[in-house]
Amino acid sequence: MRRTALAPTPAFRAPAPAGRDGVHAQTLANGMQVIVWPVHHIPNVALNLWVRAGSRNERPGITGLAHFFEHMMFNGTRTRGPGEFDRLMEARGGANNAFTSDDVTVYEDWFPASALELVLELEADRVANLAFASPLIESERGVVASERRLRVEDNNHGLLAERVQAAAFTSHPYRFPTIGWPEDIRAWRLEDLQAFYTTYYAPNNLTLTLAGDLDPRAAVRLARRYFEPIAAQAPPAPVRVREPPQLGERRVTILRKVQTPLLQCAYKAPCASDERASAIHLLMSVLMEGDASRLHRALVEERRLAIEVGGHWQEGFDPGLLWLSLTLPQDTDPAHALATLDAQLARVVDEGVTQAELERARNLAIVGFWKRLATIDGKAHLLGEYAVFHGCWSDLFEAPRRLTAVTREQLRAVAEDILATSRRTVGILAPGGRRTRAPR
Amino acid sequence: MVRVPEHERLVLDNGATLILLPRREVPLLACQALLRGGSVVDPPAPPGTASLVAALLEKGAGARDAYAFAETVEGAGGSFGALAGPEAIAVRSQFLSRDQGLMLELLSDTLRAPRLEEREFEHLRERQIEFIKAVKDSEPAELIDAYGRAMLFAGHPYARPVHGSESSLAQVTHAHARHYYRTHFGADRLILVLAGDLDIDRAEQAVRSAFASWPRAVGRPPLAQPAPSTGRRVLLVDAPGAAQTHFWIGMSGVERKYPRRAALDLVNTLFGGRFTSLLNAELRIKSGLSYGARSSFVRGSVAGEFSIRSFVETASTARAIRLALQALERLHSEGVSAEMLASARAYTLGQYALGLETAADWAAALADIEFFGLGTGYIDDYPAALAEVDPRVAREVIAEAFPTPDQVTLVVIGDAARIGGQLAEFGPIVPMRLIDPDFVPGAAGDEAPP
Repeated sequence: MRRTALAPTPAFRAPAPAGRDGVHAQTLANGMQVIVWPVHHIPNVALNLWVRAGSRNERPGITGLAHFFEHMMFNGTRTRGPGEFDRLMEARGGANNAFTSDDVTVYEDWFPASALELVLELEADRVANLAFASPLIESERGVVASERRLRVEDNNHGLLAERVQAAAFTSHPYRFPTIGWPEDIRAWRLEDLQAFYTTYYAPNNLTLTLAGDLDPRAAVRLARRYFEPIAAQAPPAPVRVREPPQLGERRVTILRKVQTPLLQCAYKAPCASDERASAIHLLMSVLMEGDASRLHRALVEERRLAIEVGGHWQEGFDPGLLWLSLTLPQDTDPAHALATLDAQLARVVDEGVTQAELERARNLAIVGFWKRLATIDGKAHLLGEYAVFHGCWSDLFEAPRRLTAVTREQLRAVAEDILATSRRTVGILAPGGRRTRAPR
Repeated sequence: MVRVPEHERLVLDNGATLILLPRREVPLLACQALLRGGSVVDPPAPPGTASLVAALLEKGAGARDAYAFAETVEGAGGSFGALAGPEAIAVRSQFLSRDQGLMLELLSDTLRAPRLEEREFEHLRERQIEFIKAVKDSEPAELIDAYGRAMLFAGHPYARPVHGSESSLAQVTHAHARHYYRTHFGADRLILVLAGDLDIDRAEQAVRSAFASWPRAVGRPPLAQPAPSTGRRVLLVDAPGAAQTHFWIGMSGVERKYPRRAALDLVNTLFGGRFTSLLNAELRIKSGLSYGARSSFVRGSVAGEFSIRSFVETASTARAIRLALQALERLHSEGVSAEMLASARAYTLGQYALGLETAADWAAALADIEFFGLGTGYIDDYPAALAEVDPRVAREVIAEAFPTPDQVTLVVIGDAARIGGQLAEFGPIVPMRLIDPDFVPGAAGDEAPP
């Protein structure tokens, strides 16, 4: 029996987050979406430029191209030399970064409000005028190879996840690693880069979000000045691939010179816009968030078959994966850990979760939501996530309400739908064999 | 402009310091508590003792066992964590503001009535040893500071690994942990900052009732000791089969109260603190050798370290280290221009408010200021101090605080067989293996690798 002696803490009746009325959204004549959230507690602005392109939009032979673009976007335009983007932005107090996923590429800038016009001009310039100088392409291939060694080849978690994901999908491009296969990283041609740029870095494929110390109308005016002259392109061809149903469990086993084995389970899961999204988030929290979660308690504290339990739901445009990941103590048999994990998951499917567990997950989610809203960076991200993956930025203000509406039965039902062994891929990385060397 | 917001500060008769700072953007309340102590007071217990005590605080306290404690925190949607550093144990917590009373109750329980149960201690200790093995398997760069500090500060308390090594943790006993708590916990060691959507009167009352009767700690507070100097040498940590080499180039640096901190920040921003820095330009932008290279100062009560870190494909190890050392040499020979300083100043000021945005940010910053006795001028006067830095001051600070290439200590983690003779030019090489259970060579026997 699961302990339920503690009185459940009642769900927090969150006030709807303030600021909704202040948010200003506009679609430019070329189809680019601009969303501005004015908040004035610090004199700064966070900018996100969301591009609807990720490794999902690749094909065999050009894997990693979306991520490579993320790098190339910092390497000069027809109007500004290599390095100018960073030099100009930093000299005005701004910093930047970017990330690429299976579904999107997101460019991020954080800067004092006084630099707004410069930053918009720089962003529009690289969307309109990217240069493709060959020496820089070659140098950047080296940088990406270094990133791949760091995140995949020398990182067992990254390596195992890459191979599990590749095995989990038969036809859908979610099987490609976002950073790309090494042979592809070495082999892209200039034409591949140019075609990708024209197709996906078109204004009608972009969403710009801004949060911070700004006047929304003035910000939209500036966005219009710099982005509206960029011509729209034919919309990218939709990704029509639908992964065929998985009919049985798949296994990936990697033997390496390691001390601590790893176990990963990747279950087929719905897409981000699925109506059960809130229930899936809460289920994940019940399973693995915090020391009171089911899997932590069973596998780490009681049975001592893991030193750490983690997981996430890969929320994308298409149905993806829900991951559970365990790091095992030295000399632990992964099969034993897997059997114990399965018994725990079967109980959730059979018996559901307790009211206390549901309330706990809900309160954690609501606090997590408020923590994100506490920063301009969190606000810019939330606007982008909701606009891009849910089709409507203002839905973010409904998040606390949607979390409050989830029932125990809905949690049990999503557990039953998703946590089926026949629709999962199990990855085991264990000691043995020789460590594979990176190809030269 | 960023200024320290209005706040209340009071010191109880027993020496506990309390700071209350209201911020009401979101309905959250953040807490940062610092308990002076940390790994520098581990001895005579082995390294890792303070770290295990910190972890043990939330494994049962007051009326709650470990599970009830976690269930209470998470049931309210809160977070609660304690982590040892070199000079303090830090407790960080965040709750919905409606749970102010609960948060203070949990804090008081963990500091004044932790259960320190043996069973929980043993499990934490086992887990911490396994965590080190797991990090060695996948992210050895996370441990490169521990190797570097062990060599750089040999004989000084900063040399000890804060979270212990596999072999030192194996020697920590439950009695060590209890002794640490009895000796180094007490009111005069506590700095407590509450920031966020708080009820000041109730908070002050609750904190007084929780901590006014707490006795002072019995142990002597840690003594500041002078940091050692060092000559050039290379620690080569063998990671067979690794695809790339991680390297760390270090030297003892400056203390937290270093008077020319504004100039130090600007010079480090230019040297290795931002994307266009001299270091990142050499190792990433111009050469494509690495995903990134950075430099930083760790500044404690006494001088901590200055370090450069990066990673490259094994075959390029020596070339990359050479480029980093040449950049350091150029910093000394060429200094920085007024134009470079203007850019670094704009960057530092432009990013400053982003690090002081939330209640949790302010709680951490005010606890830090109090801990090191810096005064609120540390934040309020920073922009004016940045404005005064000119190339002459920058040059003096470079000479004073940045090492020259002949003074540095190197740590290289990679495939020793393939790095081979590449490192001879950098100094005498001290070899060890990544799987060795310590961060210094020769501390344990030569057992065969698993």
